[in-house]
Amino acid sequence: MATVAVPQLSGYHRPAVLDWITTVDHKKLGILYLYFTLFFFAVGGILALLVRTQLAVADNSFVGNDAYNQIFTMHASAMLFLFIIPVWAGFGNYLVPLQIGAADMAFPRINALSFWMLPPAGILMFAGFIVDGGAADGGWTAYSPLAQQTGVGMDMWIIAVIVLGMSSTIGAANFLVTMFRMRAPGMTMFRMPIFCWTMLVTALLQLLATPVLAAALVMLFIDRNYGGQFFDPNGGGNVVLWQNVFWFYSHPAVYIMILPGMGIVSEILPVFSRKPLFGYKAFVFATIGIGGLGFSVWAHHMFTTGSVLLPFFGFMTFMIGVPTGVKIFNWLGTLWGGSISFPTPMLFAIGFVSMFLIGGINGTYSAAVPVDFALHDTYFVVAHIHYVLFGGSVFAVFGGLYYWFPKIWGRKLNERLGKLHFALMFVGFNVAFFPMHMLGLDGMPRRIAVYADSAGWEALNMLSTGGAFLIAVSMIPFLIAVVMAFMRPKDQPDDPWEANTLEWATTSPPPHYNFDSLPPVRSERPLFDARHGDEAH
Amino acid sequence: MLRMSLPRRVRLLAAATAAGLLALLATGTASAIQPGGITDEARLMNELFWIVTIAGLIVFALVAAALVYAIIRYRRKGDELPPQFHGGGKIEVAMVGVPILIVIGLFTISMITLVQIDDKADDDALTIDVTGFQFSWQFAYNLNDLGTNTDPNAEGTIAVIGTPANDPILYMPVDEPVEFLLKSNDVIHSFYVVDFLYKLDLIPGRVNSFTVTARETGDFRAQCAELCGTNHALMRFTVRVVERDEFDAWVADEAARQLGEGTLVSSSGTQGD
Repeated sequence: MATVAVPQLSGYHRPAVLDWITTVDHKKLGILYLYFTLFFFAVGGILALLVRTQLAVADNSFVGNDAYNQIFTMHASAMLFLFIIPVWAGFGNYLVPLQIGAADMAFPRINALSFWMLPPAGILMFAGFIVDGGAADGGWTAYSPLAQQTGVGMDMWIIAVIVLGMSSTIGAANFLVTMFRMRAPGMTMFRMPIFCWTMLVTALLQLLATPVLAAALVMLFIDRNYGGQFFDPNGGGNVVLWQNVFWFYSHPAVYIMILPGMGIVSEILPVFSRKPLFGYKAFVFATIGIGGLGFSVWAHHMFTTGSVLLPFFGFMTFMIGVPTGVKIFNWLGTLWGGSISFPTPMLFAIGFVSMFLIGGINGTYSAAVPVDFALHDTYFVVAHIHYVLFGGSVFAVFGGLYYWFPKIWGRKLNERLGKLHFALMFVGFNVAFFPMHMLGLDGMPRRIAVYADSAGWEALNMLSTGGAFLIAVSMIPFLIAVVMAFMRPKDQPDDPWEANTLEWATTSPPPHYNFDSLPPVRSERPLFDARHGDEAH
Repeated sequence: MLRMSLPRRVRLLAAATAAGLLALLATGTASAIQPGGITDEARLMNELFWIVTIAGLIVFALVAAALVYAIIRYRRKGDELPPQFHGGGKIEVAMVGVPILIVIGLFTISMITLVQIDDKADDDALTIDVTGFQFSWQFAYNLNDLGTNTDPNAEGTIAVIGTPANDPILYMPVDEPVEFLLKSNDVIHSFYVVDFLYKLDLIPGRVNSFTVTARETGDFRAQCAELCGTNHALMRFTVRVVERDEFDAWVADEAARQLGEGTLVSSSGTQGD
């Protein structure tokens, strides 16, 4: 035969569903993470509305006491373990390889494994609602011995959290190797985008802290099911031991939940101020400082146990305010003297700075040990964590979504709807959570299903509930903007915002292996350098 | 130049006023709501609360004013690139130094207050044994440990036991130190009296204690502050601070009643669980 059949490069077309299930591409996995976590943001949000409905009026019987305990436990569990921690893995997966100029994560298959551990864990945790005894109801803190008393839903919760912890531990190792080994030529550590730095410190915290949580959960599981007595004083165990190991993870976890948000804000502010981040190295060292100090403040959750070395943990807790304060200066200095425009991502970033400022100040109350004796376990603390995790983290999530939406999906979200979304959410957030400070000062404990009419807490609770529903309403313009965007063709250029970092040097969305060619990296702003040359240095 | 700088000053003034008003609003609400405290210890804690609050509001007002000023003053007006300022030098030292000074100051003041409130009662002060259980409280008084006016030869313990539907009342005398011993046999609870500005956990396997001297008489609401199960929210009680003679009369009545009912227990025994 003289002719040779030339194989046609038609490729093998997998069905789309199979493609998504089997993908090891960091961008697709990042998108899967985002879909998964935003789904659980909605679930956690609905649970929050149930909580707020129950608390809207005194002596309410909208849900029973048992159901209430399950609802707020699962609200926190969904928001922390299934939304906010993995949502950063979503942003990180999509962005870290692009920002450092790599083709993918270091271990793509491990990356897929990290993601695919999440759905079974989420299903297992929520299946608690259909088993005898209901879902976990001991709070997300699962304090022993209370956590020994509840039904099988608690065991399901424990296993789910262990699996989620494994996911984030191996994910952390993947991020670290990726950032240490796969940076583009010219990108020294101190030229890495600031979001990558925050992901790096977050990954270190996850790698070091999450195994401790896993150990604590295994001990709790043994106590519950096999007669272990780790936390049982009648068998020689120690009740407070649980709190020590739990918070040894869960306080660093608070930084796991906020640091990447700070990173996102520190990407957005410079772009729309048209200036570099003020004090890049100070920011990096402050991030590392928060990570390090984060391991020495856990017992400030335990000041009222009577078994804590109060001066040490009080001092460390105040000290962690220092690197946090440095960041506020970084952000103010970035805006100062800039040329500031206000598209939606910038609004969310400025919202983050102002709400996080309040979340930092109302946190100092708990560092002042005698004041914490009054405010611990009251609604004041509920206000504090929501100013940090909602006013902070959630605002950063939406800022990031509006900012990178053109890159990830090739389309821009409608600006007017985005601004409406921001305005409603900003007002709703403050109406929902600011009154909680007053309720806490007035002595309303957290985690109570009902309060007496005579306590006088109804008006502020009703206000707070109204704010919560306003937050829910603010999601409507966001969803409309998403639907509208997907009805349009992909029309976004490589760099619609005049941004600084490498992800904007490729097409929107990027091709499978990310870059055809990379611009030279001579600073932390390679795209700015490419646009302006040396004129502005 | 004057024409340029005038609106700038106005803007700065507007930003500062707005931030100051917000801070004042927060102060006003806090002072309307924050209980001043009815014990010596609570009043010390209340002073610390106000120091932290004022420091926090100053920081908030300064940062908020700077933020509002910056976003008004530095709005984008054209395509010209602003000066590319990377920071560094003295200002970065200040960025670290100022927060360090603030937190060390607040820490020092906190520790002084902590030492002041952490006074231990004399052995002859009234001791109240508090036991938390799912889902109410037991307050036990040993008849030979009632502080002033104690008959050292008295025997027996009187106990007040509540239920979730019937909140118990904790009687205590005014103007003298009272020591609380906190115990639990089931799960963790927390003894929280709002007007003490204080709470302390009841932990299975250990006894926690604290001492306060109340300075006001009256009824004060209190409840469990640590999630303890289904009816956690119903674990309420009232602290009734009374004059000493009223307290003695109550003790005598209760002792007689409980003796009549046969519920007065020997000093070593406990009741309820």
